[in-house]
Amino acid sequence: MSNGTNAPPSMNDSLSDGPKRRGRAVIGVGVAVAIAVVLLAAGFAGGYFLEKGLAPSGGSSTTSYTITETGSTLIYPYLNLLAPNFTSLYPNVAISPAGTGSGAGISGAEQGTVNMGGTDAYLLPSVAAQYNLINVPIAISSQLVFYNLPGLSVSHLNLNGTVLAMIWAGAISQWNNPLIQAANPGVSLPSTTITPLHRSDGSGDTFMFTSLCYLSWKGWSGGYGTTYSWKAGQPGYQGNSGMVTGLHSTPGGIAYIGISYLQSALADGLQYAALGDQAANVNGANPANYILPTPANISQDANLALQNLQPPSVAISLILGGVPGATNLVLGGGGTLPTAQYPTPYPDTNLEYILISTHPANPSLQKYVVVFLQWAISTGATAPRLASVNFLPLTPEVIGYDMQALSSVQVSA
Amino acid sequence: MREVPEGQPIPPAGPAPAPPAVPFSASRTPLVQWLLSPIALIPLLLVAFVAIFLLWKSQLVWFGPSFFGINYFFDPTGLQPNQFGVTLFVVDSLIVALPALAIAAGLSLAMAVSIVVYLPPMPGRVLTILTNLLAGIPSVVYGIWGYVVLAPYFGSTVQPAIFGFLGWIPGLGGPLSPGGVGSLLAIFILIFMIVPITTAVMRESLRSVPHDLVEAGLALGATQWEVMRRIRLRVARRGLWGAAFLGLGRAIGESVAVAMVIGASVWIPPNVYAPSTTLASFIFYQLDSSFYYPVLLQALIEFSLVLLGLAVLLNLIGQRASGLGTTVVVTGGNGP
Repeated sequence: MSNGTNAPPSMNDSLSDGPKRRGRAVIGVGVAVAIAVVLLAAGFAGGYFLEKGLAPSGGSSTTSYTITETGSTLIYPYLNLLAPNFTSLYPNVAISPAGTGSGAGISGAEQGTVNMGGTDAYLLPSVAAQYNLINVPIAISSQLVFYNLPGLSVSHLNLNGTVLAMIWAGAISQWNNPLIQAANPGVSLPSTTITPLHRSDGSGDTFMFTSLCYLSWKGWSGGYGTTYSWKAGQPGYQGNSGMVTGLHSTPGGIAYIGISYLQSALADGLQYAALGDQAANVNGANPANYILPTPANISQDANLALQNLQPPSVAISLILGGVPGATNLVLGGGGTLPTAQYPTPYPDTNLEYILISTHPANPSLQKYVVVFLQWAISTGATAPRLASVNFLPLTPEVIGYDMQALSSVQVSA
Repeated sequence: MREVPEGQPIPPAGPAPAPPAVPFSASRTPLVQWLLSPIALIPLLLVAFVAIFLLWKSQLVWFGPSFFGINYFFDPTGLQPNQFGVTLFVVDSLIVALPALAIAAGLSLAMAVSIVVYLPPMPGRVLTILTNLLAGIPSVVYGIWGYVVLAPYFGSTVQPAIFGFLGWIPGLGGPLSPGGVGSLLAIFILIFMIVPITTAVMRESLRSVPHDLVEAGLALGATQWEVMRRIRLRVARRGLWGAAFLGLGRAIGESVAVAMVIGASVWIPPNVYAPSTTLASFIFYQLDSSFYYPVLLQALIEFSLVLLGLAVLLNLIGQRASGLGTTVVVTGGNGP
């Protein structure tokens, strides 16, 4: 008699249970589907009534509006701060921002899925015109170059655009390179290998930094943008916080980091560089050509940027000024504005932009978008609100530009 | 020996024979069928839906033969010709996925064998629950853990240690990656993600080895180890390979966790420490930029088609080999 001719008892049970179980399973699936349908219906109904509830119930004559925004994660906390304060002034208007990324902000504004698109990098004027969009700067931000090199005798190394471009391109690989030494006379530099870090995600900071390299060194290839084909082997990190963490654990490392992360980078024991202006790229040794990212110096650069373009535009990511009377380098075209008025512009400054349509689908809602932006760049931009995200207030020159641009928006049918 | 006609339930052993099971009545069947049959088609429709829309959105733009090359270069300003070498990313994915799979498969086999053969039922069940728990942890949690906790430790300790002991093996030589991010860390994280699926599939295929065969082996005087090696593993071979393919599919498809720890360098890394990238993580990295640059979006969509194809292929092979989704046929009475 061989073993296992009969199916084990458990097999019997399960076989005889088959139809019953199947029946139960069918009932189970049926119940689950029914629950899902009911929940969906309840959700839609709830949403519908919520919407109805938000609308004025006859007593008031004003219509309610919800202004939607998506885009830059750098702008998001600032808008989140502004939104409730604006609603307390205009109870019928709600602002609903979302931090998704500058690319998503541009795409949302182009396709009209949101009323405002937030971005760290300007939208090219030619593309903006194609979609009837305008770049409206709402604050000034800047970028710092941090390094992990403990034990230096100075608190800020002097670095210029040419040197930075050569570091990231791999043309300078050690900290005691003669070009770095020339910009830092008297500083004893170690022979440590330089590890340049970059952002792995799409980033306005990458846009600014590659612009700086592009303008500063003729050997820079591959252009500039929110993404860049970095030299192989260099490590990339997610977000500014990733850059801070990564640089902290990379001795000899160097990284470009948004000024919003100044405190967290300093707390991690990192130091930042004074950046050279355009003259420093030519003659790296003059200490007067190296500028620290103080609020005053950053504001000067924003003004310089605005005034350097003819016709006036804010579609800039940075400007390399610093040679009085000479041609200043600006992305998208050079200008010849004298820089005497703004002698110490910090060269790694940018504007935070909101993209809005000049020919909106809903002009009566757009009226409040314009009102909101006018408020956000003037009385809404209080010092504590800006300081909490390390932004600087727009200069009067940029506000003037904005107000004029906003007046071109169609706000009635 | 009891002869049982096929398709008919076997009456249960016991004093009172249960009433014959009621089959679906003729009046109920059409309604149930009518309701449930379309639902059964949903998985097929979902896959087709994804594939068709990706194909449609990509418009199958032809980037030239360099699309299948091993060089990647993208100029955002559009001044220089772009090269979207998808093969580079597939190779990079394999460089990370294959070692992770090898280690995970070894671990899983050891666990599956001990659960099925050596452990008493209770600890075996606990071990199963714990392994399944690993599968339930969202991958972004592994990513955060990897880049906040593990990366500095890998840079300062693990990499130098491995380099010190095994640096003579090709691929394990220097230079090291000081920040700790790189292929090695990605491999380590991926092991956690592959182990649950490979263990589950291996366990079930070892379990489905007919008892007759095992008992016959034991009756002939073979030790448990010999039975394991020469009967269980041999019979369950297909299932074990299936588990490996499913694990490989999981490893190649993971994006977020890998993206957070692998270091985003686009090249074929010279060693296991160096920062690198994978097809899935690269798509994740470039997502926001692709809204700026339409050409990049086209390329990413075509990348994701390649990834989809890879994942579907590996899963089909894995499921077919492991018998997942097909009825497990228990053959009784046939001697070895």
